[in-house]
Amino acid sequence: MILCTTDEVPGRRIRETIGLVRGNTVRSRHLGRDISASFKRLVGGEIEEYTKLLAESREQSIDRMVAEARARGADAIVGMRFATSEISAGSAEFVAYGTAVILDR
Amino acid sequence: MSASVQEPTRDELLAMAYVDGELDPTARAEFEAQLAAREDLRREVVSLRRLGLLARSMAAPEPIDHEWKKLARDPLQQTATVAAFMAMAIGATGLAGWGAYEIWASQQPVPVKALLGALCGGALLLLLVTLRGRLRTLPFDPYTEIER
Repeated sequence: MILCTTDEVPGRRIRETIGLVRGNTVRSRHLGRDISASFKRLVGGEIEEYTKLLAESREQSIDRMVAEARARGADAIVGMRFATSEISAGSAEFVAYGTAVILDR
Repeated sequence: MSASVQEPTRDELLAMAYVDGELDPTARAEFEAQLAAREDLRREVVSLRRLGLLARSMAAPEPIDHEWKKLARDPLQQTATVAAFMAMAIGATGLAGWGAYEIWASQQPVPVKALLGALCGGALLLLLVTLRGRLRTLPFDPYTEIER
């Protein structure tokens, strides 16, 4: 599965457009990590508890988007984007979306 | 020196093809039916996904990572962190218990006590059920090892 943020896959021709595919997730860390993170906010620097949280959410949303594209017979996703918002404090919502296409062999 | 190479089983090959999205729709549906019925297969798929994810998110360590790792191994840091969390847990449990006792021993009417008891008991039960759910699903969550 080719994933790209451009509208086309360079060097390949799009034979068929399947349509929008997306994957989303909302994840959180456990209370202990949230407590550690809140203390790190006092002293500054990277809060790696939340770096990890965002990374987990990003990968899961990509996987869900790819799973949908595969189920619909696509072999690439073009124009891929991420969106994020805060559902509740300390949790991360991630949405990955793009256009599933079939490329010429 | 000799190395023993074990041939992958048919299930393992199918799991790899499934994770890589190489099964045709019929084979995928058959595999998913198997997946629903067999925990060993689910574990195999999760372990392959975990491997793929780790390969995907592999990045060169940054200088600060070595310092974080050193800190995590530092006995003073470890002991202080465990002690801090234990002290907070003891404090929170003690305060909750004391609050419950105060309400129980107070002059509040019995129905009020019963309602408060139901509220606290319900919250505790919900917490336990949520924890049980997390523990059951944790082995099938391949995203927990991603760092950044």
